Amino acid sequence: MFSDEIRTIQKLGVRYVVLQVLNFTQVIISGLMIWKALGIVTNTESPIVVVLSGSMEPAFYRGDLLFLMNPRNTPYVVGDITVYKVPGADIPIVHRVIETHTVGPLPTDQSLLTKGDNNRLDDLELYKGLRWLQRKNIIGKVHGFLPYVGYVTIAMNDFPQLKYALLGFLGLMALIQRES
Amino acid sequence: MHSLYQRANGLTGLLSSCLIGLLALVALTSFLFPAHPKGDVNIKTLKVRWGQIDRHPAQEWAFVQFDLQTDLESLFHWNTKQLFVYLVAEYTGSKGVANEVVLWDRIAKIKYVFRDFNKTFRNASAVELSVRYNVMPYVGVLTSGEVGRTSKERFPALQTQG
Repeated sequence: MFSDEIRTIQKLGVRYVVLQVLNFTQVIISGLMIWKALGIVTNTESPIVVVLSGSMEPAFYRGDLLFLMNPRNTPYVVGDITVYKVPGADIPIVHRVIETHTVGPLPTDQSLLTKGDNNRLDDLELYKGLRWLQRKNIIGKVHGFLPYVGYVTIAMNDFPQLKYALLGFLGLMALIQRES
Repeated sequence: MHSLYQRANGLTGLLSSCLIGLLALVALTSFLFPAHPKGDVNIKTLKVRWGQIDRHPAQEWAFVQFDLQTDLESLFHWNTKQLFVYLVAEYTGSKGVANEVVLWDRIAKIKYVFRDFNKTFRNASAVELSVRYNVMPYVGVLTSGEVGRTSKERFPALQTQG
């Protein structure tokens, strides 16, 4: 099946294959570096997230892409759409802040309550025993929006075969693609 | 020489660059529309009662009746999907805790269009608006009614844009 490709690789020699592998790793590493640099600039562990549930419809649908920021000294205000993760939960949740209570001396010492626009009740049930959300539970505030793009990742999670097929294909292309 | 793969790659590359450029333009033009939303809100009644609601422990609850008038038309332009309009209570508790609490919200978006069966309102009768409600019970019969009605208003002549 891949006899042609294998022959190509043999013809090109080891040095060329090593170079291509290095190129491929460089692409992956620079992607990772950009991601981490974005994380430092925006002060959040994940500056871009994909919407996974319909609880913020009709504002956000499954598969929409959100851009987050979490400035260190800026308090959250009601109406902000935040992404948060409480201890014990596996996935982050995108919901709107509906109550803020500034309990400490700093303006950022806040107890928060959130709710999905499309949900009837507030999020108390989702907090896994917490009474209020704290700032440390919040990943960031939504500043930008790009529709549909994130659906690729949802599709890859729902059908893992797709993920492996895509990765394998990209890897193979990177190895056998010849610069013209 | 170009292989099929190279052609496909070039074409999809060009198309996605154009799409991204177009989306960036749409996003940037949003800042060109002047926004001057206006509104007026008044408290009609403010009451405090003691009791137990839903999953919450027994405590005091405040109830607010308010009148709200807004003109948010200038916020709607070609890159406005919807508005989230919300009423916020701000106060400081007895122990110095500063609070901001959302009491009411409404998602404003263009949900219905108003057009005539014959594509024109010319020579149509005057129009009346009425406010009606539907009671959706947890179990049993659905009921409905009307709570208000405007006076009759004639359709004006067709305006040119601007």
